Amino acid sequence: MYQPVNYLILIFQSTHHVLKAEKVLLGKGLKIDIIPTPKEVSSDCGMSIRIDPDAFDANMVTSLLEESKIDFKLFKKWMK
Amino acid sequence: MKIVDAKGELCPKPLIMTKKALGEIAEDETLEILIDNETSMKNVTRFLEDHSMQIRMEKKGNVFHLMVSKTGVIPESATVAEYCEIEVPKRNNLVIAFQRSWLGDGAEELGQILIKAFVNTLPEVSAKAKTIVFLNSGIFLALKDSQVIDTLIKLENSGVEILVCGTCLDYYQKKKELGVGRVSNMYDILERLSCATSVVYP
Repeated sequence: MYQPVNYLILIFQSTHHVLKAEKVLLGKGLKIDIIPTPKEVSSDCGMSIRIDPDAFDANMVTSLLEESKIDFKLFKKWMK
Repeated sequence: MKIVDAKGELCPKPLIMTKKALGEIAEDETLEILIDNETSMKNVTRFLEDHSMQIRMEKKGNVFHLMVSKTGVIPESATVAEYCEIEVPKRNNLVIAFQRSWLGDGAEELGQILIKAFVNTLPEVSAKAKTIVFLNSGIFLALKDSQVIDTLIKLENSGVEILVCGTCLDYYQKKKELGVGRVSNMYDILERLSCATSVVYP
């Protein structure tokens, strides 16, 4: 029904970090999705950011967020 | 042991066959009934239990085997028709009605990320919506520049009907910016809501 995509998933320590990261990434013109943190990840924060890896690579996202001093963890997940 | 083969038979036939066979066997004899659909199996079981028959059920492949010990009596007057329940197939008729562009009450920025997460989770959950309706400021989620537009298009392409309130698009002057679904009216929207088996208002 849906083609699975191996998304980049960004995990944060708090919802405030998610909001800040969203602002930064949207401000740079990235297309991102807010999603609930995948169940298999242990995180204090219930929200994560999902990015289509075909559109933006992990290095670019990492440097943008590091510039803004936002802590995050990055992993990949196949999602529908 | 007597065997009643009611495979391929639809209600009330398996009930009639069971009643007839029970009238023909001796007190200590066992009757085996073969049924291949669950509804008939349940109907026959209920009929037998109501008449104090002991039943043991086994499922072999697609066939239910009911082993009945004649521990009760079925009076000639017993009517099988009342045991003939036809199961109405469960229709998936979930409607999700977005009435706002955020989720819940509280901080605005929180409500905005919550609604995005809500929409982006819809393709992941097993309960698939039949129709998604956008009303009032909910229509902003369905506009071209919405951050959940790709997910909504994905849902629409997979067969979910998406209806967007035309009056609302008109009020917010966003008709030209609609990115998904069909411009709809109160007749259609109320029709979908009232025919739904359940409605979720995020």
